Formats: sequence, C-alpha cells, structure tokens
Amino acid sequence: MKSYLLLPSRYKWIGAIILVPSLVLGLMVQFRDFAFDFLSLPSSPRKDGLSNIFNFDEDINLTDELALTGIIVALLFIAFAKEKHEDEFISKLRLESLQWALLVNYVLLLAATWLVHGFGYIDVMMYNMLTILIFFIIRFNVVLFKNRSSINE
Amino acid sequence: MKNKIKIERARHNLTQQDLANKIGVSRQTINAMESNKYVPSTVLALKIARLFQLTVEEIFLLDEND
Repeated sequence: MKSYLLLPSRYKWIGAIILVPSLVLGLMVQFRDFAFDFLSLPSSPRKDGLSNIFNFDEDINLTDELALTGIIVALLFIAFAKEKHEDEFISKLRLESLQWALLVNYVLLLAATWLVHGFGYIDVMMYNMLTILIFFIIRFNVVLFKNRSSINE
Repeated sequence: MKNKIKIERARHNLTQQDLANKIGVSRQTINAMESNKYVPSTVLALKIARLFQLTVEEIFLLDEND
C-alpha cells in the first residue's frame, strides 16, 4: 500500500539515536543553564533596529536552538517512520492515535491555561510544543502493542 | 459487518501469517478483521475474495447494525 508522507522504518532508530543526546542537552540547557561556548554569537545590531538570526541586539548562544532542533527532528522521525508492515489497518490506527493525541494535548493545554499563571505558563507553552508528538508516539505504540498481544491462534 | 475469513482460512489450511503474506498485509490486520474490529477497504476485500476464489459477498456480510 502506498503510504502518504511516511519515512522508511529505519528512521525510528535514527530518531531514537538523535533524541537521546538532544534531550540530555535540552535538559542541561533548561535546568543547568548549560551552553556550548563555540555556539556563542556576539551582538551585531542593525541600524534599523530589526532583529533576526544574523542581526541581534544582545549576545546570543545557539545551544538551546541546537537542542530543540534535535528533539523536534528526532520526534518527527520517530512519529513519521513506517511500521514494518504499514498497511491500511496500521494507517487507521495511526490516524486514530493522532486524533487522540491532538485532543488530549488541547484538553491539557486548556486545563493548564486555567491552572498555571505567570511565568510558569511559558514553561507550559514550551512543553506543549513537543507534547502532541510525544502523546502521538506513546498512544500509537500502545495501540500497536495491544493489537500484537491480542493475536491468538 | 461480519465475515467468514476465519472459516475460509481454516478451510484452506492457512495460518493468519500465511494469509497476511499472501495478500500483503500485517498479521495484525488479519486478526483485527477476524475479530470484527476492522472493516477492510474494497481493494483488500477483493484480494481476499480472489485468494479464496469466492465473491466478496460470500465472505463479507452486512449485519443488523450496518
């Protein structure tokens, strides 16, 4: 069966290999203020005051950009990797899992919107960038596992 | 929808894995169809019918909920 927008199944492992160091780096940036010196860039303000990746007002460090890029790419690889036997039933499970993840993600975001205030909400939004993919990956694999273990002959 | 895949599979002496290989799907898909958890696409229904040399209606039947 032709599968739409999916990567070969080996990308699941490539994703996992990228995820581990990226996640460690991300946690170190978040909780230990870790930064690679070689990723520091001095400020270079533009005369018109605009700011972008090449022109910014303050010194920046790209360690957090690197970590987040690694985490997102890794999660996308894992989420979009084909199963070994990607067929129409697996596609259905995949779509249902995505629907479930999307719903759970927004229910939790709504709850957090009312329960978390102030700067804490920035953390909520940061984690929320990744939770759709994480919820999808967990849900899809749980459903696959349940289906595999229900096979009896 | 009900189906007679399990009966036909037994009649042809095939395991779920054999049938899965012959029609190019996963074993999970065969299991899900046999336990009425999954309604196959028309293409898959036609492949199953062709393999068993039956018509689609001889294998797949509507039930009262459809």
